[in-house]
Amino acid sequence: MRISRKDIVPDGPGSVKLVPVDSDDLWFAYNLIAVGDSVMAVTVRKVLREAASGGRDAERVKLKLEIKVEAVDYDKVGAVLRIRGKNILENEHVKIGAFHTLEIELQRPFVLRKEIWDSLALDVLHQATDPAASADLVVVLMQEGLAHIILVGRSVTTTRSRIETSIPRKHGPAIAGYESALNKFFENVLQAFLKHVDFSVVRCAVIASPGFTKDQFHRHLLLEAERRQLRTVIENKSRIILVHTASGYKHSLREVLDSPSVMNMIKDSKAAQEVRALKDFFDMLSNDPTRACYGPKHVEVAHDRMAVQTLLITDDLFRNADIATRQKYVNLVKSVKDSGGAAHIFSSMHVSGEQLTQLTGIAAILRFPLPDLDDIEM
Amino acid sequence: MPRKVSYGLDYDEDYGYDYEEVDDYRLDYDADDSGDVPIAREEPSRSTSNVWRCSICTYDNEEGLPACDICGVIRKTHIDVNNAKKTASASLKKDLPTERISTTSEENSNVVTSRGRHVNVIKSEHGSQLDIHASGSREVALEHGTSADEYKHQVLTSSSNSFSDESTNSAQKASSLKPYSHETWMLPEKGESVLTQLNIAIVGHVDSGKSTLSGRLLHLSGRISQKEMHKYEKEAKLQGKGSFAFAWALDESAEERERGITMTVAVAYFDTKKYHVVLLDSPGHKDFVPNMISGAIQADAAVLVIDASVGSFEAGMDGNKGQTREHAQLIRSFGIEQLIVAVNKMDAIEYSKERYELIKRQLGTFLRTSGFKDTSVQWVPMSAITNQNLDANPDDIRFSSWYKGPYLLKAIDSLPPPLRDFSRPLVMPVSDVIRSPSTGQISACGKLESGAMRAGLKVLVMPSGHLGTVKSMEHDSRPCTVARAGDHVAVVLQGVDGSRIIKGGVLCHPDFPISVAKHFELKVLTLEGASPILIGSQVELHIHHAMEAACVKKIISVLDPKTGEEMKKSPRILTPRQRAVIEVVLQGPVCAGEYSNCKALGRVSLRASGRTAAVGFVTRVIED
Repeated sequence: MRISRKDIVPDGPGSVKLVPVDSDDLWFAYNLIAVGDSVMAVTVRKVLREAASGGRDAERVKLKLEIKVEAVDYDKVGAVLRIRGKNILENEHVKIGAFHTLEIELQRPFVLRKEIWDSLALDVLHQATDPAASADLVVVLMQEGLAHIILVGRSVTTTRSRIETSIPRKHGPAIAGYESALNKFFENVLQAFLKHVDFSVVRCAVIASPGFTKDQFHRHLLLEAERRQLRTVIENKSRIILVHTASGYKHSLREVLDSPSVMNMIKDSKAAQEVRALKDFFDMLSNDPTRACYGPKHVEVAHDRMAVQTLLITDDLFRNADIATRQKYVNLVKSVKDSGGAAHIFSSMHVSGEQLTQLTGIAAILRFPLPDLDDIEM
Repeated sequence: MPRKVSYGLDYDEDYGYDYEEVDDYRLDYDADDSGDVPIAREEPSRSTSNVWRCSICTYDNEEGLPACDICGVIRKTHIDVNNAKKTASASLKKDLPTERISTTSEENSNVVTSRGRHVNVIKSEHGSQLDIHASGSREVALEHGTSADEYKHQVLTSSSNSFSDESTNSAQKASSLKPYSHETWMLPEKGESVLTQLNIAIVGHVDSGKSTLSGRLLHLSGRISQKEMHKYEKEAKLQGKGSFAFAWALDESAEERERGITMTVAVAYFDTKKYHVVLLDSPGHKDFVPNMISGAIQADAAVLVIDASVGSFEAGMDGNKGQTREHAQLIRSFGIEQLIVAVNKMDAIEYSKERYELIKRQLGTFLRTSGFKDTSVQWVPMSAITNQNLDANPDDIRFSSWYKGPYLLKAIDSLPPPLRDFSRPLVMPVSDVIRSPSTGQISACGKLESGAMRAGLKVLVMPSGHLGTVKSMEHDSRPCTVARAGDHVAVVLQGVDGSRIIKGGVLCHPDFPISVAKHFELKVLTLEGASPILIGSQVELHIHHAMEAACVKKIISVLDPKTGEEMKKSPRILTPRQRAVIEVVLQGPVCAGEYSNCKALGRVSLRASGRTAAVGFVTRVIED
């Protein structure tokens, strides 16, 4: 994300002009824009004009609109951010108070004006503009008959492709069927791999599976690359890592990010930090359940007793809440940080964030055990 | 003791775990004093015969008790049974002259099964003789001590005959489905000299010698000729894997041979004196446990192979990395009660008795706490590679001096015959789909859990719901005409698109479809060593041959291990060794049924991070 102009008073009103560069930036914009803010951007609107003869003519006009945000919608699949709101800028074609939906696109600047730029929003802004290298990782998560190609970005994890075929058992006369079905499966995965993996953007490619499927696929990949002279693969052979996981389902992505070889590559990135924090939480839960809690009520109670050491919270909670709840969470994060603890804000688009969302979205590792939390209703 | 595939007296009441034993909660007392507890339990059954066995927790209660001591299930009286017996035997005599082999007719309105009872009648091919008592010998060997006789006299008759049983039987029918009556051809003929089929799963830690044992058994029974054996030996030596020669009979793919492991379950057939054995050689590797589940779920009995050599046994017993424990717990959860523990590689420890006794003690404790009864576990030390104690008493003097027990094949023969569910509607979970390249035909392989099928029969292919016809069937590469419950066959289907049949699907009777859903309520037991389960935990759900990613949506309650009552509502977290009721939501739909309706379709196992986290069964299918 590029900032063209910044005019902000911390904890006060301000505006900023941003240009999103990649799909990750749309995610940051999604987190920044809240209901009640105003967004100004160049957009296209269908305008009805009265022609001289009396007939109405519809024309698509490009104009600059500023709207007061009423609803924000992030389309993960299409990577588009839609903002719906009322027009507040004087305009010859559009009346004030008329509804309009703005689409934030890549490489198109927009201006965001907020009443209060709280610490969280400033944090997000800072992260968005941080030029540090992203975690970009491509993971081919597979098992026999099922493969996912997943792109792990800085804050967003997207599944680019999913391939599923049925591979028969390999015994007796049908054994030839097994080999050919397996080859066809690998071929499909290879095609998807070539289509979605761009080695110039991605830091490294990981092939993960239980059993030996990953070795088989790796062998197939290299052989085919030699045979068909696929330059991209041949040059980047060293950037392909093999990792063992327990299954080929998406939740095994956690194990991929946890493995030492991958961790080395991405240890400074947000995704790795999140995975580690969540892993600590689960370890604490299995070793000493009274020192870990989840659910808004339990975490609040724990916080009241100054027991929270590490707070894990998803950005989902900030986004969907009304002003009062959002303020409450912001205060919670601030006070945990002030009291010497750590607060991790998970991106709900990452695999660890998804898991945290399933767990109600908020969890905490405590400084000392609180056994009576069990009695409180969740 | 036969495996409880049939439904017992108390079945419809409170179905607890079939495999759960009272001993489970005594896990805390552990290795040292577990000796006393189980023995005390078994005394009633050994000393007196006036005990009745609770069909839920299999505890032997005194005769006078109206309800089971442990799980509280009320013992149903036999009053209705006796009545039915009278009416049934009366109608039976009437039926004799008009008996004939019926043709396939699915619509029939005569109720013959009530939910909790079924009986098999063995009729000869010509249908004139009715031999009730013979039915007790094979198929209906129920172990409910005193009640066994009553069952034999209940009769199921086919629709085409006229008789007036309808009124009594329809009153007993509890299910809302249209009543099902099986046909004569579905029951095995008495006159047949065919050996009973017995499905045996071979499980154990990796490299314990499972495939070598299976190869050896095939060779000894004559299934593999000397020439083939030489071929395997030669090829194995060429690749530098001479010791794997026998295993190559089972591990046929290049990948398996190269790595020297089994990756998927290999099916092989051989005959002993008493049984036609279907051998399911499972992989022992940790990553291939899903394949092992798919194979072992078809079994009636299991052989747990242990590597006796120093260090290997300990590695296998390791809680985290060893598969011995996990395999034992899984097969117990599939309802398998009969277990033969084959202590292999005795030659490596010089046939030492002390080592054998040590293994027996340690493993025996574990098996007891997992729920295996001491009487249904047989211990056979042997050496597959040197052919000691497999098909004959051991030759080696070091061995035969102290070991006087049965050899392996004798132990297999001494297993009681399994109970088969002939009289329920057809259910066949599909374990594999093979497309024949030459003919373009699709064949679905699997084991029939209940009912029977033959060529020309219309079957419903779930989950797609399409109707197909059975064109032909094959067992052990030989065509067969009729396949009954317990048989392992490859069915060629006609009229159904190949993409509709998938592994994990089920072939069933068109009038009795299996429910397909994504949302289930399960009753589970969390295993030791597994990571805790929270709301939102991502697991893999295994149900018959289907596997799907699932998420724990709600933890409804934790149950008291002794009484099965709700101990705590909505707990935060499930720790190991707890019984609980949870709700899971799957990513994709699977065919499943409630455990009380069909056991094979109701058993589940939950796995996460490469270990089995919990085992249990479906209590409710929640339609969305």
